[in-house]
Amino acid sequence: MPSHPLRVAVVCSSNQNRSMEAHNILSKRGFDVRSFGTGSHVKLPGPAPDKPNVYDFKITYEQMYNDLVRKDKELYTQNGILHMLDRNKRIKARPERFQSCKDQFDLVVTCEERVYDQVLEELNSREQETFQPVHVINVDIQDNHEEATLGAFLICELCQCIQHTDDMENEMDELLQEFEEKSGRPFLHTVCFY
Amino acid sequence: ASGEDIALDMTTSEKVVDLLNQAALRTTENKLVDLKQVQELIINKDPSLLDNFLDEIIAFQTDKSMEVRKFVIGFIEEACKRDNELLLKLIANLNMLLKDESVNVQKKAILTLTQLYKVALQWLMRPKMVSDMQEACWNMVTQMKEEVLAMLDSDNDGIRTHAIKFTESVIITLSPRTPDSDIPKKQEGDITLDKIPRDHSYIRYDTLCEEGKSALDKLLKFMVHPAISSINLTTALGSLATLARQRPMFMSEVVQAYETLHANLPPTLAKSQVSSVRKNLKLHLVSVLRHPSSLEFLAQISTLLLDLGMNQNEINRCTPAARERKRPH
Repeated sequence: MPSHPLRVAVVCSSNQNRSMEAHNILSKRGFDVRSFGTGSHVKLPGPAPDKPNVYDFKITYEQMYNDLVRKDKELYTQNGILHMLDRNKRIKARPERFQSCKDQFDLVVTCEERVYDQVLEELNSREQETFQPVHVINVDIQDNHEEATLGAFLICELCQCIQHTDDMENEMDELLQEFEEKSGRPFLHTVCFY
Repeated sequence: ASGEDIALDMTTSEKVVDLLNQAALRTTENKLVDLKQVQELIINKDPSLLDNFLDEIIAFQTDKSMEVRKFVIGFIEEACKRDNELLLKLIANLNMLLKDESVNVQKKAILTLTQLYKVALQWLMRPKMVSDMQEACWNMVTQMKEEVLAMLDSDNDGIRTHAIKFTESVIITLSPRTPDSDIPKKQEGDITLDKIPRDHSYIRYDTLCEEGKSALDKLLKFMVHPAISSINLTTALGSLATLARQRPMFMSEVVQAYETLHANLPPTLAKSQVSSVRKNLKLHLVSVLRHPSSLEFLAQISTLLLDLGMNQNEINRCTPAARERKRPH
């Protein structure tokens, strides 16, 4: 088992639901975890599917919360968005964009293929310096509350298994195969270098 | 120096002694905290102390904890970058750590050798760098390079991954930059074959050139191994793209390797691994296509990309030559 805790990043599109649910669980289990979104903006559901609430990544969860309370408290209470923002602001102040973070991780877990592609594009576009590897794994999770909860547990279990390997890189392939079978989901997996 | 400076030196030095004494008695975690402080003090704050305390720090290379041994490797890298002369002494320590019983320590040693190989070559190219000790140092670096290249055949997947990246870096160093080479900003000052003088007494241009070609051969051979793991394959695909962009002279070999791989994906890959590898192949082909020197191979690359699910419009958008043609003259 590696003596330093695995440095994990969980990434979804807006750093609100899927990545934050996983962030919450992983940090409770003692992981060195950060969470991110890859979108150009943070999007939250609005009064209609074609009218999302769009925020800059600089806006805090608290400001979004207050904005939505002002706009339609009942609607955003009913659909769970206020509850989610309330949870999020207890974890950190504001959403973070993956592309703006230059910290290094051992493992990046993405929540959908498009996000995985964006993470790969970002990591491959950076100039290599140390050649320190980072493994990127995609676990498809639908963007709703229930799936985010289930997905977060799956990500957590995956991270725990990886953390407990004696030699992560040598056992990763086999471990992911087992997880695919167990969960019935295919995982995309690659390695990039810092 | 003023009296104040001396007082400051004494306190730094005393602090280092104190930290080193503490570190010897501490648990791993606290030991690392102490040692990192020592490193900061004698490499960044007051490098004149580096020589004094070198042996004390290097003594931790036999520590029971692999994290401490990994720290020593990081220290060797920083110390040698700060004072190249230390290579003469520390390269032997790195050589020992390259053979450590822990694969994690070995991997760290490979990463450090990747950096120090270039540093050593650049340092020994300076005028008046001729002595038996320096020649012996270069011989050891060369021998270590061969050992890591041979690790492409290691039983351990992670060691192989690190060996691939090392091989990529050696090929870049031991081949010349040409006018069409992409040069990453951070590597602008790195030594490359074109900067090697032809009259050096023991480092031979022709030998280095041959060693670079042989490293490329090894990488290409490694890629066609039928039981290659998906992660090693992915790593190698990325290395080839880097080579094609930074050394377009190898573009033909790279495109051919991509074609061969695409036609013969290893039968050992699981279904999702095939998806991952194909996605990577597409990503790296696009990055090669964006390089102007890919024009000659446009047909082959387009065929591959179409097969990997890209449409012609998307391909055109990534072709620099196509953009050039559209520009009114």
